[in-house]
Amino acid sequence: MQDRLHILEDLNMLYIRQMALSLEDTELQRKLDHEIRMREGACKLLAACSQREQALEATKSLLVCNSRILSYMGELQRRKEAQVLGKTGQRPSESSSPADRSPCRGRVCISDLRIPLMWKDTEYFKNKGDLHRWAVFLLLQLGEDIQDTETILVDRTLTDISFQNSILFTEAGPDFELRLELYGAYMEEEGALAAAPKRLATKLSSSLGRSSGKRVRASLENAGGSGTSPILLPTPTMGGPRYHLLAHTTLTLAAVQDGFRTHDLTLVSHEENPAWLPLYGSVCCRLVAQPLCLTQPTASGSLRVQQARELQDWAQVYGVLKGTNLFCYRHHEDADSGEEPLFTIEINKETRVRAGELDQAAGRPFTLSISNQYGEDKVTHTLQTESRGALQNWMEALWQLFFDMSQWKQCCDEIMRIETPAPRKPPQALAKQGSLYHEMAIEPLDDIAAVTDILAQREGVRLETPPPWLAMFTDQPAALPNPCSPTVAPALARTQPLPWGRPRTFSLDAVPPDHSPGASCLVAPLPPQRSPRSRGFCNKGPPHTWLQSPV
Amino acid sequence: MSYIPGQPVTAVVQRVEIHKLRQGENLILGFSIGGGIDQDPSQNPFSEDKTDKGIYVTRISEGGPAEIAGLQIGDKIMQVNGWDMTMVTHDQARKRLTKRSEEVVRLLVTRQSLQKAVQQSMLS
Repeated sequence: MQDRLHILEDLNMLYIRQMALSLEDTELQRKLDHEIRMREGACKLLAACSQREQALEATKSLLVCNSRILSYMGELQRRKEAQVLGKTGQRPSESSSPADRSPCRGRVCISDLRIPLMWKDTEYFKNKGDLHRWAVFLLLQLGEDIQDTETILVDRTLTDISFQNSILFTEAGPDFELRLELYGAYMEEEGALAAAPKRLATKLSSSLGRSSGKRVRASLENAGGSGTSPILLPTPTMGGPRYHLLAHTTLTLAAVQDGFRTHDLTLVSHEENPAWLPLYGSVCCRLVAQPLCLTQPTASGSLRVQQARELQDWAQVYGVLKGTNLFCYRHHEDADSGEEPLFTIEINKETRVRAGELDQAAGRPFTLSISNQYGEDKVTHTLQTESRGALQNWMEALWQLFFDMSQWKQCCDEIMRIETPAPRKPPQALAKQGSLYHEMAIEPLDDIAAVTDILAQREGVRLETPPPWLAMFTDQPAALPNPCSPTVAPALARTQPLPWGRPRTFSLDAVPPDHSPGASCLVAPLPPQRSPRSRGFCNKGPPHTWLQSPV
Repeated sequence: MSYIPGQPVTAVVQRVEIHKLRQGENLILGFSIGGGIDQDPSQNPFSEDKTDKGIYVTRISEGGPAEIAGLQIGDKIMQVNGWDMTMVTHDQARKRLTKRSEEVVRLLVTRQSLQKAVQQSMLS
């Protein structure tokens, strides 16, 4: 069965590739190829990795790749259909009505995502029972674009799941639908049951207690496809941790606001599911949108502006229509150099624009007038363009702006701030929850002799024997204070653990170092009045010895 | 032979090639060393500069391989088989000399008499 699924998957990939090729859509094809390669890499990594954290990350990237492939596949099918329809002569009506405009694109950014959890009293406050841990991440889809957040480890000490990074979608229309899905995988402490062969596992599950048996059985069954059409493809063939869909929601333009808002989550999984998390049922986030019409200039050109009231006073300016303002600069170059404009005409939903013949003086064609209502007053600016074509352009741009404003609604009131999401850091090694001893490092690593030398220096042992270089004159190798002695003796004399912050094993200190090559290693016993307390354990200090070694 | 940290060290050196002598299970060279960056340089009787933490020859066994090769007491060892000995701990120095796999060690040593000899020859 598994082999068949494998073959089917491969066939799928082949078919998708061929479709992409035939469409000659290089952009989509390139993206698809990239995702397929990533998917293969993730499969290999999953098969090869041994650590649980690696397996989690690999599974997650596999699922994300799958979902992206699925969406590209859908897009390809649509385009193929359109192509086929086009070929068979079914064309859409040629004449598009003048009001048939498409609104401008925009950038949508979602950040500061936070999902509150609802633990039982006993679990959270009293910390009873085993510490269950889950790995969760969010998958966000807008149109074709699928992005994921980092993986967060959740246990009952957390009150909310907070995602640090922000996700930016660049090609969004005002009718966008941002689908948000929360996936979780239960991290078993043992980890053995997931990998056990099926028959053994069913035997185990039937012989375990009721609740754990249910859990095991649920984790073994194929749990793909819970809920309405999740984004992810089920992956029954892969071993390793299984991600389940926990909750989802869809956000649209109505949810956009320059501030935090809470939205409802549709909870999908139920308690039987091993990855079930006690979600409160809502998600808080900051969803902002920046339509392009606000951030990029839509029209520009030279104009002659008649100041209100003065019929004869025409000023030559360079106008730039950007966002809700028409900036009039003195010169063309000023617009780019960041100079302040001469004046600015505001254009908002209340502005009235009229082309034509208002206050038409002889020989002054191609004018348009912009009127704004400020309280009681009505201020009108009359602008004259160079030619009929220019007038058309300006009118077109203004109509487009009005249309965009009506479509993007609250986003056009003010430019919402979008921070460039920082480049995603590589997934950090998830911290192991072990004892402090795991983090200890003994340097140098496994050189017992060197370690005991360090011990000797730290203690600053002073020998009550004649200075070493005197032996040179007496020429008696036996009288040389052997470098072994300062290191072995303190070890033997020590009866309590060292008071410097690191726990050490006694065996390390007790083994006499065996490093002298030829000359006899005289173990000079320390005089008994030396007590451990007299040594300064924790201060290194300058070296007091000038050791000699025979070679 | 004093050195300024950060500046390259120059010295007049002599090559000494010592063939180790097998004594039972061990290979010995027949001299003793003292010094090291983890040692107290003020106790060094041979160094001209009492802050010099280099490795010095403190004793030569009579008739041993080192004496035969021409090593002298008070020599400062700069290199052993290409490995630097000017910035090593005492134990690292000892280890570099007593590797069981090497039967011959080629040392670069410097001594004050060498330095003086060169200076005199340059003057004359």
